[in-house]
Amino acid sequence: MKTDVLIIGGGPAGLNAAIETASRGIKTIIIEESYALGGQLKQQTQFFNNLPKQFDRQRGIHLMRTLIDRLSPLPVTCLLKHKMIGVYKDGRIGIANDTETFPIDAKKVIVTTGAAEETDLFPGWTLPGVMTVGAAQILINRERVLPGKNALIVGLNSFSAEVTKQLKACGINILGVIDKNVSVNDKKLVDGLEDKKIRVMVNTVIERATGAGEVEKVTINNDGKKEDLDIDLICIGKGLSPILEPLEILDCEFGFQAKLGGLVPKYYSTLGTSNPSVYVAGNAAGITCLGGILVTAEIAALNALKALGVLNDNEAKISSSFLWDELRSMESEESIETFIARVAHIKEFHEECELPLPASFHAILEGC
Amino acid sequence: MTDQYDIVIIGCGVIGSSIAYHLSEYKQKRILVIDKGFPLSGTSGSTQAWVWVHNKVPKWYGELSMYSAELYPFLERKIGDVEYKRTGGIAPFFAQTDRDKALRLVEEQAEVGIKVEVLTRDQVLEKEPALSPKIAGATYSDMDGNVNPFRLVELYIKAAKRNEVEFSFYNPVIEMVMEKDHYKIYTKNKKDAITTERVILAGGPWSKEIGELLGLDIPIKQVRGQVIITEPLAPFLKHTIGGMRQAENGEVLIGFSKEEVGYDRRTTMDVIQETAQMAINYIPSLAKANIVRSFSGVRVIPEDGFPILGKIPDKKNAYIAAMHSGVTLSPLVGTLMAELVMEGETSICLERYSLKRFMNYA
Repeated sequence: MKTDVLIIGGGPAGLNAAIETASRGIKTIIIEESYALGGQLKQQTQFFNNLPKQFDRQRGIHLMRTLIDRLSPLPVTCLLKHKMIGVYKDGRIGIANDTETFPIDAKKVIVTTGAAEETDLFPGWTLPGVMTVGAAQILINRERVLPGKNALIVGLNSFSAEVTKQLKACGINILGVIDKNVSVNDKKLVDGLEDKKIRVMVNTVIERATGAGEVEKVTINNDGKKEDLDIDLICIGKGLSPILEPLEILDCEFGFQAKLGGLVPKYYSTLGTSNPSVYVAGNAAGITCLGGILVTAEIAALNALKALGVLNDNEAKISSSFLWDELRSMESEESIETFIARVAHIKEFHEECELPLPASFHAILEGC
Repeated sequence: MTDQYDIVIIGCGVIGSSIAYHLSEYKQKRILVIDKGFPLSGTSGSTQAWVWVHNKVPKWYGELSMYSAELYPFLERKIGDVEYKRTGGIAPFFAQTDRDKALRLVEEQAEVGIKVEVLTRDQVLEKEPALSPKIAGATYSDMDGNVNPFRLVELYIKAAKRNEVEFSFYNPVIEMVMEKDHYKIYTKNKKDAITTERVILAGGPWSKEIGELLGLDIPIKQVRGQVIITEPLAPFLKHTIGGMRQAENGEVLIGFSKEEVGYDRRTTMDVIQETAQMAINYIPSLAKANIVRSFSGVRVIPEDGFPILGKIPDKKNAYIAAMHSGVTLSPLVGTLMAELVMEGETSICLERYSLKRFMNYA
């Protein structure tokens, strides 16, 4: 199988990148390991206000429909239930489903594998009833199953707060949202939960969870003060980290950026990696908001198109500076630190390679 | 003065950690082990971890392997459960013409006390019914087995720590200076030199680079092996089989490849597919198994294939231990190197393993 662009992962970043490349008539293949496109949008019923200009403000699941609808008339092949499992010596990508393994010869690869949830370890963490907030969201919104009646949420961030509210709206009693940090920077988050009569406890950790065959009780430690709670559900929201395996197999180099989720591939202002045919976008390029996921996908797709000779330099330059402005606006709406870390990450890689940053990027640097 | 040691070991893989532990049993010396990374992040952590004896030739090399395998039960009593299992080892062959070679192996190994049998196809299938009926026969020995390399290295280190050995990880050695009666070792994370009376090079695949710091040419090659791992399957393989074994958790580890591509730990689809095909040739029922992971490890292969062990010629108080099959050999190599350093002589002669054999006559 041959293609101009191969996209690894059919979540919001992969879909948006495919829209960009395929709408220019470029042959595009999306590899998606699950049964359907959409990635995490499949269960995101929450409303997203902060989206790029071409999208109305809408719920995650509606955005998924919007993206798939825009993609469907375009020359894109979507291989569902297919995984990237390796790379051949000649650079072709090894793809497998349940029955066969075959190579795809792609001129450019855009890796949009997204992120995995971080968990937390405490005695009893393997008991049934202990899950990530993402898993709980899948259960209520996609599978229509109530994961429990009385829940404790571990870790306070915008995603865990959102899921906490959704769990409460389903009738689950929330005994509290705990966080190990002494204070929470985002007062809006705390207020939003307390408005819904949800107890927020900082400086608090789980000592242990116990139960016969499933979680029944949890002991929390609030600054030395211990408290037992009867619960049947613990949801862990410790943030996300990029999924990197395909980039490792593709021989991309990595760097550490705490604010982007830890280890992330090194990339240029083009979102091209150290492997000249590989681009990265979405959460795989550093944990960001949905707007950031969508815009980075456009930046990567734009530069892949330019490298393929589809766009001329001038077109690429104009779109690029527009997209970087948009990315800054998306990310500063949620957390400007993400944008600053991303720019620093790019600057570092350019310096390491002694490759000057494009002139348009200097304005961005000054803004940081 | 805190950075002064009697012995510094460079490299904390299965060999470095074993030497450290065995030296620490004497409880006489101040010992430091330095590693550029973290234990098990390199070769010792990317192996099928056979304890493999029966077709190691010539016989003197087989003998060394046998003595080491025999030390495992004793080692476990000292450092704890390393999941050593003497499963018996089967090395299948596909052509009848290989039978003569097998018979010669039996004769040669018998001279040093390694009991090897040549099995007919029916005998092989009786022992391992899952093997392919296309197999012509196999050599077999009950001396072979395997071990959990993660537990092994971890327990060597823990036991050494109990005996007050110190460790410094993520700390590459960047310079070594030989002075009159000691070595000065400069590392990335320490401004001041570490001084030591004796130094032992146990750098595995990095032996060449470490040797260069002392102006030595250590003749080893880096040879990549790619290993694929199946989903956990119901226990069906009892023995360690040439190229594969079933682990305690049901996963089957399979690997045959050898590539000289430098220190590149990636896997490639080409080799993964060849490896899977080889596995199916051996065990047809594996065609239905899902492969869930793959990894590669970089073997240390001395130019002539045999361990490099002992004192470094012309360098006072410097020693080296670099070899393939470090997992099999670690209990014995640790014991012998400790004897050499502490007592000046070893209970098994190491002369033939000296680095001297590679050195040009000046």
